Amino acid sequence: MTLPKAPTEPKPPRGYFGNITDTVVSTAKGMALTFRYLFRKKVTVQYPEVRPQLDERYRGIHYLEQELCINCDKCAKACPVDCIEMDATRHGKELEWHKFQLDYQKCMFCELCVYPCPKDCIHMGTEYSMVSEDRSDFVKDLLSWTGLTEEQQERIEAAEAAKAAKLAAKKKAAEEAAKKEPAEGEAGAEDPQA
Amino acid sequence: MYELLLSTAIALAVVLAFITVAAMFFVYAERKVAGWIQHRVGPNRTGGFAGWAQSIADSIKLLLKEDLILRGADRRLFQLAPAVVMASAFALFVVLPFGPGLIVADVDLGVFLILAIASVTTIGVIMAGWGSYNKWSVYGAMREAAQVASYEIPLGLSLMPPILYFGTFSLKAATEAQTGSFGMGWYLFSDAFWIAIPSFLLFFVAALAENKRAPFDLPEAESELVAGFHTEYSGIRFSFFFLEEYAAMFVFSAVGAALWLGGWNFPGIHLLEPGSTLLLVLATASFVLKAFFLVFIMMWVRWTVPRLRIDQVMTLGYKYLTPLSMAMALIAAGWEYVKHLGAQA
Amino acid sequence: MNSHPAARFDDKPGREVELDVATQDCMIHMGPQHPATHGVMRVLLKADGEILAGAQTHLGYLHRCAEKIGESVDWLQYLPYTDRYDYLAAMNNNLGYSLAVESLLGVEVPERAQYLRVIVAELNRIASHLFAVGTYGLDLGAFTPLFTALRDREEVLELFEKICGARLTYSYVRPGGVMNDAPEGWLASVAAFLDGFEKTWHEYWTLIAENKIFIERTANIGVLSAEQALAWGCSGPMLRGSGIDWDLRRDQPYLIYDRLEFDVIQGVGYRGQVGDCFDRTFVRMFEMVESVRILRQCLEQIPDGEVLHEEVGAVIRPAPGESYVAIENPRGELGHYCVSDGTKIAVRVRVRSPSFCNMSVAEHLMPGAMLGDAAAIIGSVDIVVGETDR
Repeated sequence: MTLPKAPTEPKPPRGYFGNITDTVVSTAKGMALTFRYLFRKKVTVQYPEVRPQLDERYRGIHYLEQELCINCDKCAKACPVDCIEMDATRHGKELEWHKFQLDYQKCMFCELCVYPCPKDCIHMGTEYSMVSEDRSDFVKDLLSWTGLTEEQQERIEAAEAAKAAKLAAKKKAAEEAAKKEPAEGEAGAEDPQA
Repeated sequence: MYELLLSTAIALAVVLAFITVAAMFFVYAERKVAGWIQHRVGPNRTGGFAGWAQSIADSIKLLLKEDLILRGADRRLFQLAPAVVMASAFALFVVLPFGPGLIVADVDLGVFLILAIASVTTIGVIMAGWGSYNKWSVYGAMREAAQVASYEIPLGLSLMPPILYFGTFSLKAATEAQTGSFGMGWYLFSDAFWIAIPSFLLFFVAALAENKRAPFDLPEAESELVAGFHTEYSGIRFSFFFLEEYAAMFVFSAVGAALWLGGWNFPGIHLLEPGSTLLLVLATASFVLKAFFLVFIMMWVRWTVPRLRIDQVMTLGYKYLTPLSMAMALIAAGWEYVKHLGAQA
Repeated sequence: MNSHPAARFDDKPGREVELDVATQDCMIHMGPQHPATHGVMRVLLKADGEILAGAQTHLGYLHRCAEKIGESVDWLQYLPYTDRYDYLAAMNNNLGYSLAVESLLGVEVPERAQYLRVIVAELNRIASHLFAVGTYGLDLGAFTPLFTALRDREEVLELFEKICGARLTYSYVRPGGVMNDAPEGWLASVAAFLDGFEKTWHEYWTLIAENKIFIERTANIGVLSAEQALAWGCSGPMLRGSGIDWDLRRDQPYLIYDRLEFDVIQGVGYRGQVGDCFDRTFVRMFEMVESVRILRQCLEQIPDGEVLHEEVGAVIRPAPGESYVAIENPRGELGHYCVSDGTKIAVRVRVRSPSFCNMSVAEHLMPGAMLGDAAAIIGSVDIVVGETDR
């Protein structure tokens, strides 16, 4: 069905019986539509049992690749609400971490902390569930996932593993494609991403 | 004397139990229907399978809630209103013919009794609105008064064609008159079907308005009046208004079913032995199912159309429904006279 | 059913009736907590029975110092706050702010980013108008259109979730371009959504705009004349519903709107008078159609390339100066006035929000209408209280 053009002329008003017909016909049309809705597939998701499939770009609870982080404070500076606090002592090349805290009572998940990172070590994960009876639970330490419950950690690890497997499969497929391509011509070899 | 009291008490207890259970079922059904129409699933957690216990949980919650009365409220009116509303809904069930012999009181003027008692509800609503000490509630009560008083007329007039056709005001006698044609002698399929169908539509619209169901839910229009006349009610008193709404929906659907859709008759009823248990069960089921179907249509309408404005409700009542139902009543009377003349000739 | 109470009113000016009893107008507080106020807003109604004699709108319940915050955080850090004033059209807010900052910086945004911006802004317009039309049905007592609208809006939100990771507060359009390039297959899923939406649009037309009761509730109600609309600074569907041919996308083109072909929808008094509540809904319904047209063209034309200007980094230091950029938000003209003194923090960020101007005229539409129309008039303005109060 294509979309109509906007009408430019008003509709003429109806008389007594025209009103009756209009009311009956338009109500019947609407009811026919809602009757079809009765049997349509439902769009709601039964949340705790069915968890939505989140895209990898989803802006959920952060996770930190601690071994990469250099304590440069750029993410904390980028944060509009000052919710990141980090502290570490440097021993030569080694960093002794004290804390890397995010206050999720303040955080508004804007992702501005992720872009300035020079080492690409702070990310936003797909974990979103934050329920607690204690406010202090929302101040999470990102060091060694201590801010997350065991169940959440398992889910994140499983998601990471799935992502890695997917990437590996993609790479393998690309390699196989690259093997085949040179036989056909030079086009595949020139593109580094292929 | 003692036996009469006992049998009355049993009948009342059965009616009360039926109203409560039916209303709880309707609340559940309404939420399910609303859910399905709105691409949702409706209640589906409470009690495991399909949320069947949702209404039970809701009623327990309502019973346990605090019963608030505002300081400025008229305490006596405020407390009496739900009882008046509930009692009138309760009394409506007395004349409904659920099955052959399954009727609490076969009143000769059954249809009139229903019309008369149904308007008592209005008094309860006005008491509630006035006693609540809330401007929204007063608005709701005044709208209810105006609306119900106007729609009594088309409702009564739209009931005239079947009454004239069957020649009785008794719902039981009208139902028995539709037993012919292998149980399909319903008024809707009778020789006067061309009167029956428009008069049924008129009756249905007037019944919607009388029950303050959408699109005529002006007294409790939640986007205008917050919750209308029951804004200040909580707990069990609120649940009385709730029960009344669904009980009245069932009663008017049952009247429609009894007068137009053949009451307890169903195809093949003539094959069963009169007075047998099977007949009784099937007949009751047929009556209740027909009424449920009409209740479903009321829900379906509610979740489809927007609400009218109060002056439009009045216009519809006085300018459209009243003349049309009057015309239908006159036409029905004329048709009966023509038939009478034909029978004489 | 056609005569409106206001019409009867005008016949008898003064509406003085000889009565034996003393009567008094009833003051009703509609809000701050009321189902029809779309947030936290208070309308003080003066009612003579069911007929309104006057109305007064009280705003400010959702004031969050958004403009003051703009003077204390970095240019880029203010971006997430722009999401939050009109939370139903956050992409457009991001866009308006980004354009204002870019005009201070004097940078030219890469072409692909411009197309992506138009795509997300128009998708957001569809989502916002869907919500407006759906909640308008709710204001008038029809529940189902809202859920039908939410069903389709959900698809738009899922598209946004795929491209930027958020569903409501996107922070996607940023000074210098957009945050991310569209992921693989995203443009195809936009096209798929448009295919589906072309079918479901007719459902809204049937459920809402064609319904006789809806027409009766909205036609000839809250008539906003063209002069009044101009005098009160209305914009968006409120202005166009009154029959004024004005759309910033066409008349002050920004981004690549001048390359796109679309019509500006005006109210024509389809079911009543020009400028009534029905016309405003009518404009929203057909603006969705035009958005679909724009999106189809964008999907065809979008080039490859960079999406973020390389010179615009995390810390922005625009040259001293000021800029005012107005864009066409789903609700009307959203203007950002930014003043820079050359540091990384703005001197002033002023927001000209469309809902505020549109709402200010609503109280003048109410005298003579009925109590039930109050909800209809407020709903037809389609305010977002977060934006009126900021």
